[in-house]
Amino acid sequence: MTEPARLREISDDEFTAAYGSDRFTSAVILNRLRYAVEHMSTGFMREAFSPIIRDWYDFACTISGPPERGYPMAVVSNSLVVFLGTLGDAVRNAVEEYGPENLSPGDVLICNDPYRGGTHVNDVCFIRPVFAGGKIVTFVNMRAHQLDMGGTVPGGFSATKSNVYENGLVIPPVLLWSRDQPVRSTFSLIFDNTRWGGMLLPDFKSIHQQLKLGEQLVLENIERYGLDAYLGTLTYACDTSAERMRDAIALVPDGDYTGSALIDADGLDDTVDYTVRVTLRKRGQHIEVDLSGTSPQARTCINCGVLDAKTAVGVALTMLLDPEVPFTSGTWRTIDLATPPGTLVSSLPPDGGIMMFWEASGAVVSAIFDALNPVLGEKGVAGDYGSTNTHNASGVTAGGTPWTSATQCGGEHGPWGATKEGDGDSYTVLFFLNNLDPATETIEHDAPVVMLRKEHAIDTGGAGEFRGGAANLKDTLWLSAANHYLSPFRTKVPSGVGANGGKAGPNGAMWFFPPREGARELLGTSAEVYAGSIPVAGVLDPDSKAPDPEGVYHYFASRPVWRTEPGTVLRCLTNGGGGWGDPLARDPQRVLADVRNAYVSVEGAARDYGVVVVGDPHHDPEGLRIDEQATAELRARR
Amino acid sequence: MNEIRENPVLERIPVDGPCPRCGAEELRRYPVVSEGGWFQVVKCQSCLYSVDREPWSRLGPIQLLSDSL
Repeated sequence: MTEPARLREISDDEFTAAYGSDRFTSAVILNRLRYAVEHMSTGFMREAFSPIIRDWYDFACTISGPPERGYPMAVVSNSLVVFLGTLGDAVRNAVEEYGPENLSPGDVLICNDPYRGGTHVNDVCFIRPVFAGGKIVTFVNMRAHQLDMGGTVPGGFSATKSNVYENGLVIPPVLLWSRDQPVRSTFSLIFDNTRWGGMLLPDFKSIHQQLKLGEQLVLENIERYGLDAYLGTLTYACDTSAERMRDAIALVPDGDYTGSALIDADGLDDTVDYTVRVTLRKRGQHIEVDLSGTSPQARTCINCGVLDAKTAVGVALTMLLDPEVPFTSGTWRTIDLATPPGTLVSSLPPDGGIMMFWEASGAVVSAIFDALNPVLGEKGVAGDYGSTNTHNASGVTAGGTPWTSATQCGGEHGPWGATKEGDGDSYTVLFFLNNLDPATETIEHDAPVVMLRKEHAIDTGGAGEFRGGAANLKDTLWLSAANHYLSPFRTKVPSGVGANGGKAGPNGAMWFFPPREGARELLGTSAEVYAGSIPVAGVLDPDSKAPDPEGVYHYFASRPVWRTEPGTVLRCLTNGGGGWGDPLARDPQRVLADVRNAYVSVEGAARDYGVVVVGDPHHDPEGLRIDEQATAELRARR
Repeated sequence: MNEIRENPVLERIPVDGPCPRCGAEELRRYPVVSEGGWFQVVKCQSCLYSVDREPWSRLGPIQLLSDSL
């Protein structure tokens, strides 16, 4: 096996021979293509009707090369990573099955089958072949979450569905537009089997226009720079990723490394928990990731497909080894995923249903962090909040109007872990999602709900020289009767594990608080508050019902649908992010600032960091100060 | 009643012969997913050298009934 020549070291003539243009031109074309996918994204964002597109940015765009070059995914938009990671394979699998010879200019091929293309049935791939000189030279693609794809649960977000038939409509590769004319039978297939088609239709039309825009921008590049330079640039982009990832892998000591991550339960009962086990075997510039020993596929749709596991591997290694590696097909060139079929992260149809796919593939990311963090030392990255703790609700207002609230009022957003660069962010999405946060005004406009709290919870960032991000505490007051589907999957053991000696962030939980007098007043946050709650999920003290790592596990699907009366409050507390480095090495001034900003309490500063802070953070925050002598004495005793 | 299920393990079929790169007699055949999709590989289990690497079924272990049409 000969190692390829390094891109920086080949001569200009060699570069031109390999890539059909000079280096400068390739760089220009690549930037113009990145502009193209962002331009497509911006256009869709501006026009979308579906809240999950408009408020969450739940879509992504890519450009792939032609069949004879293996459909290389060379350009990706700055958006949802789980979509990007699977789109390369999704385009290849869909086009190969449909037959590239059956495609014509102006076609839009769609597919939403998780086993063919990854993610879940709500995520429809839209693939448009671009022709030049009478043959396909590229594909411009978008994957966009559709608000509903049928199945037994409105909106689909639930762990309670048992197989692909309950899960929703599965669309194999079929044309949605043929030569830019809508294929009515395909539209009818979708509208007859999904809810809220009126919202899907204008989004489909917008996607069609964005794909035409992408096609136009690609063709402008081909016209200006020539086909050879265009196709060569796609190869160059993937080669760049491959080289950078090879270099990053080479810095890891050779060896076999094992890790694991736990998912609490599926949606059937709480008798089975699910473990992702990973063995990374690293030799030179190659890594093989074996998922043998992972739990069998779940009995409900908390599984993911192997393409999602592959994405998770790419994301984890990119984040840990070199976050600057461009995310293309080339990312995986020296990475092999070896997995037995029929596991939680390589499930098979029809029983291994796939809906909450990112929860399972997120556990793959966690397991890889668990395996490599001890090897990486200071380059280690602490864990994030682990689960989007997804909440969906629906109902009918007193006036008879149906409403739905999708992925807005649970623990969807939360913290990251700390790194050698600094503290973890406190309100973002899981490591491999990269979405927006819906605006409170929009949430309250679309559903009968009042957002009472959306704030950082104190003392929830894992302690370290750099602190983990703070858990998010969210309280929502439901004005109408509602049916809730809740899906928190990582409450038994910390997901926000520490790195390089940092401490783990504590775990979160979910509770309902029945209607009460003065319901519009805020609930408190002290431990006493929880006694009046109905726990949904988490490991809680059996008496107080407050979080307690030694307490009792509450199973999130003990009621598959949580029905609530008007005036009920839902509280979601996410897991905390992990800390990086020795907490006693944290600069006391940083601890003081944390107390000032309510990330850390006065008690927590002493307990977790050995820093004695004097003063009242609530009534005299500017008067806070460090007792230097007491701090030195306290740290010396540790 | 708890259902006891074995955790699946990837089957790696032994292949005769030494690794041409490191000499170890540890060649195995098994499927992997990588850049370009699924492959059946014959790899050295000691140094990870791929002695053979052939494209496999498009969806790996999943067979579509429609493929039999």
